[in-house]
Amino acid sequence: MIFIKLLLITILTVVFLLITLSSRFRTYQRLFIIFGYGALAFFILFPSIADKVAEAFGIERGADLVVYIAIAILALLSTVLYAQVKIHERAITKIVRDIAIMKSRKCE
Amino acid sequence: MSDVAIVIPLYNEEKVIRKTLEELRQKRPDDVIIVVDDGSKDNSYFEACIPGVYLLRHIVNLGQGAALQTGIDYAKKLGCKYVVTFDSDGQHCAEDIEPFIETLRNDEADIVLCSRFLGKAENIPTLKKYFLRVAALVERFLTGIKLTDVHNGFRAINVAKFPDFVITQNRMSHASEIIDLIKRLGMRYVEKPCTIRYSDYSLSKGQSMMNSVNIIIEFILGKAIK
Repeated sequence: MIFIKLLLITILTVVFLLITLSSRFRTYQRLFIIFGYGALAFFILFPSIADKVAEAFGIERGADLVVYIAIAILALLSTVLYAQVKIHERAITKIVRDIAIMKSRKCE
Repeated sequence: MSDVAIVIPLYNEEKVIRKTLEELRQKRPDDVIIVVDDGSKDNSYFEACIPGVYLLRHIVNLGQGAALQTGIDYAKKLGCKYVVTFDSDGQHCAEDIEPFIETLRNDEADIVLCSRFLGKAENIPTLKKYFLRVAALVERFLTGIKLTDVHNGFRAINVAKFPDFVITQNRMSHASEIIDLIKRLGMRYVEKPCTIRYSDYSLSKGQSMMNSVNIIIEFILGKAIK
C-alpha cells in the first residue's frame, strides 16, 4: 500500500512541476491545478481524512473523491491543451499563408 | 485588371483541374483567376499552371477553408472588389458567375450564395438530395439564416465592403462559419440558382455524408474556442 502511495505521489509531483513550470497556463488555471494536485496528494497520504471530507460532500468513500478531483483536473488539462493546439494551428496557418502569398506567381 | 477574382481551392485534382481552368479562362477571360493549391500530393500544382492564372501553394495541407482565405487575401492584395469561390473539380458552371456578380455590382446583396435546389442539380443521388435539405434546415435552426442549400462551394462576396470577412475555420466547417459571418457582419444575402454537375468523378471525391457530423462538431468547438 505504501509503495503505491509513493508511486502516485511521485507521478503527481513530476506532472505538477512540469505543468506549473511551463508558461502555458493562465494564473487561475495554475491555481486550480495547484489546489487540485495538493488536495489529491493530501487525500492519498491521509485516506481517513479523505473519507471524512468525502462524507461532508455527500460522497461515500475518500477514494471516490480522489477520482472525482483527478477527473476534474484531467478535463481542465485536456481543454487547455485543445485550445493550445488551436492557437498553434492558427499560427501555422498564418505562416503557410504568408509563404504562399510571397511565393505566388502568374503562369505565362 | 478586372475587379472580380475567382478563387479556386485545389487539393489532389490533377485529373480535372486543367479542364476546369481552361473552361473558366475561356468563358471569363477578363477575371482574375487565383488557384490556391492546398499542399496537394499529386501533380495538381503543375497541372493548374495555365497562362494568366495566379498560382499559390500552401506548403502543407491546411484545409479548404484556409485555402479560400489565402485566395481572398491575395485577391484583396491585387485590388479585387468581388471574390467568387469556385470548386476545382468541374462541378460548377462558369456561365453562372455573371448573374452573381451583377447582383453584387447592383448592390442588391453583399454575398450571393448558390443553391442547387433553385437551379439544376444534375445527377444528384436521391439520398444526398434529401440529406442536403435536412442539413439546410439544421443550419437554419442553428443560425437563423434562411437558405435552401448548405455547404456549396460556389459564392460571390463583396470583400471590399467587408474587410472583416475572414474565414478562420481551416477545414470543411468554414461553410458554416460563412453563414455565421453573414449573420455577425449583417451582410445582405441572396440565393441564386446554379447548376451543379455531379459526375462519377465528383461523387467519388466529394465528402461523405457521415463527414457532416464532424463538420458540425468542429464548428461548435471552433465557436467555443476563439
